[in-house]
Amino acid sequence: MSTTAPAPTAPRTATPPTALPAPGLPAPLGAGERLALVVVAVDDSVPGVRSLSLARPDGGALPSWTPGSHLVVEVPPGAGRERRLANAYSLTGETVHPSAYTVSVLRRDPQEGAAGGSAWVHGLAVGDTVTTTAPRSAFPPVQRATRHLLVGAGIGITPLVSHLRSALRWGRDVQLVQVCRGGRGAHLDEVRALGGDRVTVLDGRAALAAHLPALLADQPIGTHLYTCGPADFMDAVLAAARALGWPESRLHLEHFGLAALDPGDPFTVTVTGGPTLEVPSGTSLLEALEQQGYDVPHLCRQGVCGECRLRVAPAASTGVHHRDLYLDDAARAAGDCLMACVSRALPDPATGRAHLEVSP
Amino acid sequence: MVSPSATSVPPWAREPHVEPADPTGRTHTLLVVGPGDGQTGTAVRAVAAGWQEELGAAPVHRHDCADAAVAVDALHADLAVARVGHRVLVAGTAEACLAVRAAAVRAGLADDELRFGAVAADVRTVWCVHCSATTTAAVAAGGVVACPGCARSLLVYEHVSRRTGHHLGFMVDAEDQPWEESA
Ligand code: FES
Repeated sequence: MSTTAPAPTAPRTATPPTALPAPGLPAPLGAGERLALVVVAVDDSVPGVRSLSLARPDGGALPSWTPGSHLVVEVPPGAGRERRLANAYSLTGETVHPSAYTVSVLRRDPQEGAAGGSAWVHGLAVGDTVTTTAPRSAFPPVQRATRHLLVGAGIGITPLVSHLRSALRWGRDVQLVQVCRGGRGAHLDEVRALGGDRVTVLDGRAALAAHLPALLADQPIGTHLYTCGPADFMDAVLAAARALGWPESRLHLEHFGLAALDPGDPFTVTVTGGPTLEVPSGTSLLEALEQQGYDVPHLCRQGVCGECRLRVAPAASTGVHHRDLYLDDAARAAGDCLMACVSRALPDPATGRAHLEVSP
Repeated sequence: MVSPSATSVPPWAREPHVEPADPTGRTHTLLVVGPGDGQTGTAVRAVAAGWQEELGAAPVHRHDCADAAVAVDALHADLAVARVGHRVLVAGTAEACLAVRAAAVRAGLADDELRFGAVAADVRTVWCVHCSATTTAAVAAGGVVACPGCARSLLVYEHVSRRTGHHLGFMVDAEDQPWEESA
């Protein structure tokens, strides 16, 4: 996210602005806080997709969220899941003082290698309790954009639903292109009803490939592009945009369904004031530390929740190979923290040594 | 001492510097800002010629402009019909480049759509935080200039507004002044 220098018309004052708690509104949750929510509705009207509505047990208002935000849902162990999982799902409902959070989850079959989180969601019933984090924003609309172009595929439409709703509410120029097969897809009826002729539905990738170059070549210069869907779909969208001269600052993507990470190269790690450990290829830093008896807070083990963040001593380390979806560019560039569940050491280009010094 | 990388003053506004053209752009607006005769005019035309060579066959809308105000008008006319993929190049003094950049930023362009070639960087515009007057002077950042609006001696601070292109100026010995009762 970009920061803006203070404008001369609003000189900086010596006193920092005080955050005033608005009376009657739910206080924002701090990092690491959990919400215990109850399933109040399920919708299975689209084959393979389960939409859940989650509310506070007392029915009270939930914290507001920025369009494009996601919720990390905890999945307890059981039914073949050795340990707790945590999956990130985009919020699709009302953003301002919602009485419920809604997410849509595509069922991925554990028999085909899925970890089992989505199957668990598909087994939930009204009245069940679910533990989640507060909404997290990693895919927000750019306020300076004069036009928002939303391009989604499959279940990747979910974060774009809230973008569309918010753009329409604020009178912003918006267009949504959704790729799905056979004219069936999650939230399609909803976005059509919301967006009318601002919504284009394409049947399959070939239709997208035919449509995309002309679409991307003819966007007014204030336009920002947001894309979400399978990794190869987003790669294709971004490649088409770059080929037409789109600068990186106008391209935004939301990873959806994490591609399996490669096992990574071995490295060593020193825990500040403690021992030095080997982290072999195929073992995460989180696992290596757990094997030594360290208790590192964690939730998702896939680089989305932000729980397992460790401090890195940059001067004593050769560099961080960030592989998470949580840290922003500024935090990555600073090189002083990492997500232990997915990220590794970057070797020193001169010596080839790969080492990290970390502390909680 | 403020670290150059940590301020809002672009390197080409400190000393003359020409950024390379961006070959990933699909089309370009080239604003050549400076009077036709004299040193500045010759220098900006040389910068423009270099960029046009770098860009080869890419479509370039070139505008030779007598001053920054003319260049801003040309920019607005081009942006009204520009599509994403367009880039803007500005050759001029740092003062002219900052003025055109401010208009481009207000029009919604991002830093990765803008390239600058500053042929001189000795003159800057300074905005007085006390009375909001703006003055143009040959003064370095860190130097002092008299405000034409309120006559205070302004320290030219290492900060340029992206939205106006002016440097920030405030009273040089502000800490030593008794508080003004009427303020
Ligand atoms: S455990 Fe969630 S980011 Fe590492």
